[in-house]
Amino acid sequence: MKIDRNELMHIVRSMKGAGYDYLVKITAVDYERSMTAIYFLREMKSGKDETLEIELDPRDAWLPTVIDTFPAADWYERELSEMFGIQIRGRIAKRLLLEKWDGTEPPFRKSFKWNSDYKTADGE
Amino acid sequence: MPTRINIGPVHPSTHGVLRLVADVEGDTITNLEPHIGFLHRGVEKLVETRMYMQSPPYMEKLDYVAPLAMDDAYVATVEAALGIEVKERAMYVRLIQLELQRIASHLFFTGALCNDMGLMFTMFMWCFEDRDRVLDLLAQTTGQRMFYVSMRLGGVTLDLPPDFADNCNEFLDYMEKRLGAYENFMEKNPVFMERMKGVGVLTSQEAKDLGVTGPVLRASGVPYDVRKAKPYYVYDKLHFEVQTDNRGDNLARYRVRIMEIRESARLIREALRQIPEGDAKGMPVKLIGPAAKNRTVTVSRECPRGEAMMYMVADPQKPYRLSIRSPNFVNLSALPHMAKGHRLGDLFAIMGTLDLVMACVDR
Amino acid sequence: MIDSLIIYSVLSPIASWWQAWTGSGSVLLYSAAIIIYAIAVMIMISIFAYIFGWVERKVIAKIHHRHGPTYVGKYGILQNLADIIKLLAKENITPANSDRLLVKLAPILLLAIPTFLILLLPLSQSLQATNLGLGLLIIFVIIAFLPLAVFIAGFATGNKFADISAQRSVLMLVSYELPMVIVVAAIALAAGSFNLASIISAQAGFTYFAIAMPIGLFVFFVAMLAEMERPPFDLREADSELIAGWLTDFSGPYYAIALFIDYTKVFLGSLLIAMLFLGGWLGPVLPGVVWLILKAFIIALFVIIIRAATVRMRIDRILRFGWTWLLPLSLLNLILVYILFAI
Repeated sequence: MKIDRNELMHIVRSMKGAGYDYLVKITAVDYERSMTAIYFLREMKSGKDETLEIELDPRDAWLPTVIDTFPAADWYERELSEMFGIQIRGRIAKRLLLEKWDGTEPPFRKSFKWNSDYKTADGE
Repeated sequence: MPTRINIGPVHPSTHGVLRLVADVEGDTITNLEPHIGFLHRGVEKLVETRMYMQSPPYMEKLDYVAPLAMDDAYVATVEAALGIEVKERAMYVRLIQLELQRIASHLFFTGALCNDMGLMFTMFMWCFEDRDRVLDLLAQTTGQRMFYVSMRLGGVTLDLPPDFADNCNEFLDYMEKRLGAYENFMEKNPVFMERMKGVGVLTSQEAKDLGVTGPVLRASGVPYDVRKAKPYYVYDKLHFEVQTDNRGDNLARYRVRIMEIRESARLIREALRQIPEGDAKGMPVKLIGPAAKNRTVTVSRECPRGEAMMYMVADPQKPYRLSIRSPNFVNLSALPHMAKGHRLGDLFAIMGTLDLVMACVDR
Repeated sequence: MIDSLIIYSVLSPIASWWQAWTGSGSVLLYSAAIIIYAIAVMIMISIFAYIFGWVERKVIAKIHHRHGPTYVGKYGILQNLADIIKLLAKENITPANSDRLLVKLAPILLLAIPTFLILLLPLSQSLQATNLGLGLLIIFVIIAFLPLAVFIAGFATGNKFADISAQRSVLMLVSYELPMVIVVAAIALAAGSFNLASIISAQAGFTYFAIAMPIGLFVFFVAMLAEMERPPFDLREADSELIAGWLTDFSGPYYAIALFIDYTKVFLGSLLIAMLFLGGWLGPVLPGVVWLILKAFIIALFVIIIRAATVRMRIDRILRFGWTWLLPLSLLNLILVYILFAI
């Protein structure tokens, strides 16, 4: 199901009310010209899966948080913002989860240069 | 005024390199913050630069306690993307291998749990002795003991050897006997039961909200098992029960795993009886190259630690993007919630029942 | 008060014993004799503690289906020695934010307590440094210093794990010390004396206190396990929780001392139980010391097997266990002993 990011919070909440009570994963794919964030939701009773796809502009990548509806989203959102540079709005910004990058280029984006001299946040 | 203590990255019971920052008041944990990423090697990105069948070795190093399960999840994803059918006999072979791997992994869990709770190495050594026999069996079917890389597109590298069924049945008889002894050993110990009962309780609602998977989820009374919900291979032809427990505490998580060993043994026995004659060999590695049929595929597998989901965007020769849903990652993210208010000693018992592999958390 | 008690009970019997033995009152000669005796007994106890350490490693290994130490010496008997030598050769690192004086003092205190205990324990009818009227009381006064030494060591290093360990040490002290002392009171009541030699001779003819007061033996054994930091009460060291508890920041020679004291403590505790409950050196044919050591080793074997069989208790459970089980049981034991012996 393709949706717009502005209605994400609303849709997620209503889906949870409709029985989709389990968040499997939040992930993203960088298609260079655009980005897609994907939410995998599951109806635990029947095992039915539903995906929510949100298309994003890589230069203006932000998403509203769904942490209030699904506490499981916490680490996934942090991972997204760290690895894909997608800003998550509406939640307390916590420190980076997996690595300490200098923040200029999110590592999982296609534009990330493999052999560039990166620095960690500590400057090491 | 709580004291802030730093547990790890080098600590006897963090199951790898995990750093926990805990605020403790006396012995009681008031706040806990896991710091992960020490083993982050960007596997998801690395895979994008490799041909499809060059990646299974990376996948196996994700969950080094149950390498075959992750290997299988990845190969199944590639098969789904390339549209390759798995041979009938190969499905049975894979199922047997996966269930053997599950037994090995749950034995590891039992030993490590007792270690975390302060029974230094008795159960650990016993379980490893049995696990060693599983590894011997796996070596007979895959040729390796630890990192198998035995899954091929459409099948496996080696078929089952002729005397495998006898060896396997003999081992399963032995294992069931030993398992009874282990249960006696642990569950008749009042200290063990005291520390397991009612500790780290996750209600089924909390478990669903926090997104925990696998035995942890089932121990909270949610009967979700990928093998039943979305049967793959021949799981729908075989008989087994999804093991659940309503208590949601440490004891439930431990019981679910012990019962799963029994169910796995049942599955293997049945599969060995039903296995059809034929060919189980998969395609040689060098022959891949057909263009991917499906652009995006999602494959779920019930790994010993929970549900591993792989989401792949496929390109002709390489994955364009592979996203791995690691069961340990979500289970660990529930730890702060579970550990709050418990004693420091129980933190490690709870962590033991989550059965974490840090390499899989960090990816 | 304790000072005067010790001075009274230690010095006056010493003086009288020395006069009776030599006929003269030369304190210098007496001190020399005591020091020689102390060194001899120290060496003996060290050897037995060492053997106990080896037995423990071997027995645990057999339970684990392993081999245990095999390479150093015959059957790996020199393995512990090799470990200690290795530790002694290593650099001693004192953490920057530790209390330097206390860090140095704590191991000395740790070493002094078992040494003192050795001097107070009679090893046979003839093999004893002192024969104090209130020997048993003094022994428990000294034993009570052991958690204190741990407490000091824990706080001295400034390590947070050691801090938690020190807190646990004090909490545990509250839960098991009192039942232990009540059992000791019952023993003194049954024997009619605080003197160790007369407690042992009161058990002559197989009227061991283990038979007369099984409840007392249970309480005392459990309390001794806690005192010796053995599983399931090894909360101060708790390797899987606190890394090594109060030992976390110890290294090199000091750590070697701590390791050695570990074994000595268990051996001394077993000796004490053998004396109080199993008739000490009483036994046919063999000399008294051999019987005593034999009995101590049998008790130590139980300690080892318990280590291999149970998980660690939690601190709040220990408190509850101490106050709801050990204390009432020890009081029950006292009452039973009173009925049995005094009436």
